[in-house]
Amino acid sequence: MLRSYLPAIVFLVLGGAVGGAFAVLNSVIGPRRATPHKQDPYECGLPSEVKRGMRFGISFYLIAMLFILFDIEVVFLYPIAVELRAYGSYALTETIVFIVLLFVAFGYVWRRGALEWR
Amino acid sequence: MIPLATAHLKGPHIDFAGLSPLIALLGGSVLVLIVGLLGSRWIRAQAVPSLSLGALGAALGLTIWQWNAQKSIVSGALRIDDLALVLNLVLIAGAACTVLLAWRSLAAREAAHGEFHALLLSSVAGMSLLAAAQNTVALFVGLELLSIPLYVLCATELKREHSLESGLKYLIVGSVGSATLLYGLAMIYGATGTTDFAGIASALSNGSLATDPLTLTGVALCVAGLCFKSSIAPFHQWTPDVYEGAPTPVTAFMAVTTKVAAFGVFLRFFDVALIDTQVSWGPALAVLATITILVGNVGALGQSSLKRMLAYSSVAQAGYMLAGVVVSTQLGVRATVFYLAAYLFMNMAAFAVIVARERQTDLGDSIGALAGLGRERPLLAWPMTISMLALAGIPATAGFMGKFYLIDAAVSGGYTWLGVAIVVGSMISLGYYLPVIAAMWMREAPAATSPNDASVLAPTPGPLPALAGGSSELDEDGGPLSGSQPEVLVVAVLAGAATIFFGVIPQPLFDLVHGAGSGLGLF
Amino acid sequence: MSIAWYLAVSAIVFSLGAIGVMTRRNPLVVLLCLELMLNGANLALIAFSRMWGNGDGQILAIVVMTVAACEVCIGLGMIVAIYRRHLPIDVDELRELQG
Repeated sequence: MLRSYLPAIVFLVLGGAVGGAFAVLNSVIGPRRATPHKQDPYECGLPSEVKRGMRFGISFYLIAMLFILFDIEVVFLYPIAVELRAYGSYALTETIVFIVLLFVAFGYVWRRGALEWR
Repeated sequence: MIPLATAHLKGPHIDFAGLSPLIALLGGSVLVLIVGLLGSRWIRAQAVPSLSLGALGAALGLTIWQWNAQKSIVSGALRIDDLALVLNLVLIAGAACTVLLAWRSLAAREAAHGEFHALLLSSVAGMSLLAAAQNTVALFVGLELLSIPLYVLCATELKREHSLESGLKYLIVGSVGSATLLYGLAMIYGATGTTDFAGIASALSNGSLATDPLTLTGVALCVAGLCFKSSIAPFHQWTPDVYEGAPTPVTAFMAVTTKVAAFGVFLRFFDVALIDTQVSWGPALAVLATITILVGNVGALGQSSLKRMLAYSSVAQAGYMLAGVVVSTQLGVRATVFYLAAYLFMNMAAFAVIVARERQTDLGDSIGALAGLGRERPLLAWPMTISMLALAGIPATAGFMGKFYLIDAAVSGGYTWLGVAIVVGSMISLGYYLPVIAAMWMREAPAATSPNDASVLAPTPGPLPALAGGSSELDEDGGPLSGSQPEVLVVAVLAGAATIFFGVIPQPLFDLVHGAGSGLGLF
Repeated sequence: MSIAWYLAVSAIVFSLGAIGVMTRRNPLVVLLCLELMLNGANLALIAFSRMWGNGDGQILAIVVMTVAACEVCIGLGMIVAIYRRHLPIDVDELRELQG
């Protein structure tokens, strides 16, 4: 039983070695041709149209981040949805409290004007 | 597939009485956030901090109401016992001081008051959760609820570059710490098959599992992760940078309360769940403590920024407190908790004076800002003097009693050399605490007197550098400060007085921490 | 399949993340590597959860997912704030604080 854990440690060491090897290999054998395009903010192969120092779409980042935050909360609803009947009203109350709190956050974000597209 | 949830599961019995301090803190956090949206600027600036003080007061009352409770709540996820309750008291006191220090601060104004105080309260809730955590899930949730608001709080002075930088730096270092701790927790779970502290302890108590490589790797990763959080060498490098860059009230909060929470976890996780692996982590932590004491004390020598100096000093103090964890005795637990309480008073006095001087002079947190303070403002100079003497461990202060208690615990726990390290560290520490006192009482006040005094005599002396501390910066909300800051003075004087009081009459504090030691089932 | 394989992958992912955090300088990449570390731990948790046949590890894993999202959002928010102030976006250049 205990012996069977030993591979885990071996693999932890191996993991470190492999990870380190990748990092080292990447910097050693990776081609490094610094073309002007690669130094541009966006490396998509096309000449970059974005000038450095330009104001970039903050709203986009803001809304994307807010989306991630609210989106990930669904992960707590899945387990409850699966076992809602088993837990009965307890789970329902908990879910309602949880969602109300989410709405408070949503209302706050709204009132603070983070959802305005500027 | 394995049956994860069977149909007969019932919702856990929730003991709302036991949870009530936490509910007060989190409810207060939500309330403060909403109130921060309403009303005029002036009302917000006064109502929001008052409300958060109210929430802290409610949590304090509910904590006292729960006194002497010994129970596991929420399916054994949390343990309400004397240790958790005493740590709660220290945390709430620290947070209340922070609210007072931040009342007129730029940080709170920039974060629209509501956000600042909501983050503060939820961070305290995380700490309180952490102090009571009894399984690894609650531990991790508490740790993150503590850390994530703190990352933001560090960065709240958006107009000041150092504040943002310190926030990002703290975020990266703190997240590495959390991830390391989490991997360690995963390994301990893998070795024992449970997330419950008592379950882990009983799994580790039967035979060879305690020396199993998986367990030991997990323990090592947990040590590393928690050392990141409590700034124990060699994982302390971020501390001076972050402490210096963060807004001073937030630095005060971080310095005191994160230590309380981190040592709460150290005590509960290491001295309860991992007690059977003590032979493995005990000596390792003892060595870390010694290194921390030396590194912190040597690093603090010659720092000209008071916040950096206090950051290194807090590293050293963490080393002292680790000694109480290492020995795994009731005496050790009591000594650690006693020192945490003393540490609250000593540090709050010092930080309150720094906050006051940052607003009165344009020298920021440099040691020069204190020059001549003894003659000019004795009400600020005395708390700072007391605090420095207490941190150095001079008799008749709470710091001396705390160190004495820790050394006693270390020696009777068989770690005499750790006691010697504490003494040596305290001697080195005089080398950087005494110059602060000397600056206050022996040096002349700088030629450029404080803007507030100057404004009485002469026209306002031009715009001050934004880095000086911020309060001099004009803001549409609130404007420049008037000279008097009674709430900061109150914190400084009260904390200084408490330091002396518990140094001369330590019995009430001894009684308070007495029960904390017996709840963990140690000898 | 043996648990060891899952653990191997999780250890590799975690170590890759840890090495990335230490060696990379772009804060965005550092955030990515932090996510790798957390997800490596998550994989280990879920593998162990299956091995022991209880749900504890999965519950922790769900919590970790949300925590990771919060951390990354705050990190991105700070990076955007730093970018708007035209500060250097390079963790090694953020060394003004060191003395």
